Amino acid sequence: MGCLAFKKETFRDDYTYRNSPEAIHRFPFPFPEDKYMYSVNIEPHVSIKPGSVFEFPFDIDEHYVAECQDKAITLAKDPGRYAVLPHMMDAQWDVLELIMESLSRDYPDQFKLTKDGNRWTWHNLPLGIQDTFTFGDRSTMAMDPFEYIGRQTQGDFVLLDQREGTLFADAGCITSQADWSLAFDVGMSWHQWHAPVPRATEIGVMDRALKFMMNLQLGSPVRRLNWTMTINPRLDTSPENYPQWGTDRNTVTPENAGDKIHLRVELQTLFRLPRSNGIVFSIRCYLISLNELATYPRWAKRFHRILRELHPDLIEYKGLTKFHQIAVDWLARFDDGAALEIGTQPE
Amino acid sequence: MERGYRIRSKPNYETLMWREKASAQVVVAKGAGGLAVLQLFQQMYPTQPVTVFYVRGNGSDTDHSATLARVVGDAIKLFDSETDALYAFYRSLPDFRMGTRFYVSGTESFMWSLCKLAKLFDIQESEIMMELSNSLARPVYCVHCKGTTPDVTTNIATCSKCSRKLFVRDHFSRHLGAYMGLMVDAENPGEVPEIEEIYP
Repeated sequence: MGCLAFKKETFRDDYTYRNSPEAIHRFPFPFPEDKYMYSVNIEPHVSIKPGSVFEFPFDIDEHYVAECQDKAITLAKDPGRYAVLPHMMDAQWDVLELIMESLSRDYPDQFKLTKDGNRWTWHNLPLGIQDTFTFGDRSTMAMDPFEYIGRQTQGDFVLLDQREGTLFADAGCITSQADWSLAFDVGMSWHQWHAPVPRATEIGVMDRALKFMMNLQLGSPVRRLNWTMTINPRLDTSPENYPQWGTDRNTVTPENAGDKIHLRVELQTLFRLPRSNGIVFSIRCYLISLNELATYPRWAKRFHRILRELHPDLIEYKGLTKFHQIAVDWLARFDDGAALEIGTQPE
Repeated sequence: MERGYRIRSKPNYETLMWREKASAQVVVAKGAGGLAVLQLFQQMYPTQPVTVFYVRGNGSDTDHSATLARVVGDAIKLFDSETDALYAFYRSLPDFRMGTRFYVSGTESFMWSLCKLAKLFDIQESEIMMELSNSLARPVYCVHCKGTTPDVTTNIATCSKCSRKLFVRDHFSRHLGAYMGLMVDAENPGEVPEIEEIYP
């Protein structure tokens, strides 16, 4: 990681976001089999394969600087993307500690944390930030500790409070969401929050996932992958800004599909927090265009089968209706019909 | 909308019943919601201190103020506007002690406006009983401009703040006390489906 070069690119307007060959190779392709349906699919968030997105608790990649800049733009235009209920202060410090310790340990050339008792100094080299503050004392920071660290980490974060036999989404820093609104959902319980997900409740996924999460142990984080599709490499596909990105779905043609249609994979991780007994839910978004994906024909072939067989409710829920057929047709050329072994590997 | 779809983010409203384990009883109702209050008082006249805030019905909303005044007696406070009633309720909140139970009946907009005020004083939803009165009208939160339009009876509503045409989603936020409204023609500007009354 010492040689990590951060790209200059945009996630809006002229959309200059691209993946390098290395970034494509490490893309967290989410389909081990030819068919997809919701499942809990949670596994321990342990380090595997140096260089993979699963190597460290929080993955920092070539898009880090550009993504933090995009996050800052979104927050400046709509401060409601950050929200926290007053009883979440312990959890805020918990998450700041977790991320600062992880990043400084895993990326020592980019992030440094020095502690002199409760006086902490944080040095973020890629973003050019250096601050000293007293851990646990909000008045020594320019903003909430959760917002501070949320702005300096790729992905979205929700802080969950555990009480009354369920989990409540009582804080969030949400700038790259797949069509859900923090301003609307903040303070909701697990089942309220997931009310709009079709079929998931019927097949019991939400109950099982909740049970699992309530038993999450300190020091044993877990992860799962989720996915959808986005037109253009846009992080901010929020309902708030739907009028700005909704029309992009009309612009897809068989000619530009490879460039415009992106597979959007969320690496979702959950960590128990030590003081608050809360949970931080991290939703890290990876985007890859069909062209980039198809540099590994195995992936294109598998993705073709996934999309072709996708349940109509999920096509609707994931917002794929308008370009689903174009994507299936575009990918068909990579699919010779031969059997594919189980697994998400690119080759 | 799926037939028989239950909105999991929304509470199931109840029939108002006195809770006997209470230090005081506070009842708030508007218009047709007065009927639920009359039913409460048919169950019994509570032994705890009781206060009733009632907004007189007007126009198409039934008015039960005369009957209520007879049944409830001195404990009733009558108002001509919702704003006045909510303000009076808000002003009384510091006087209510631990163990006070709340009973609310009216439209969803009215009930959740009241809940928002109660929440400012850390009153939990479990301390408030709610009975929906004779309308399914929905308060709708515009996710784009963050304004809330009360008493929407149609599948598509015009936002009272930004004038966008909003599709009313079956997703309810208790802290906003409203359903989500999402711009209906964002993908195809000007293409607004037929507007129908579905929450009469």
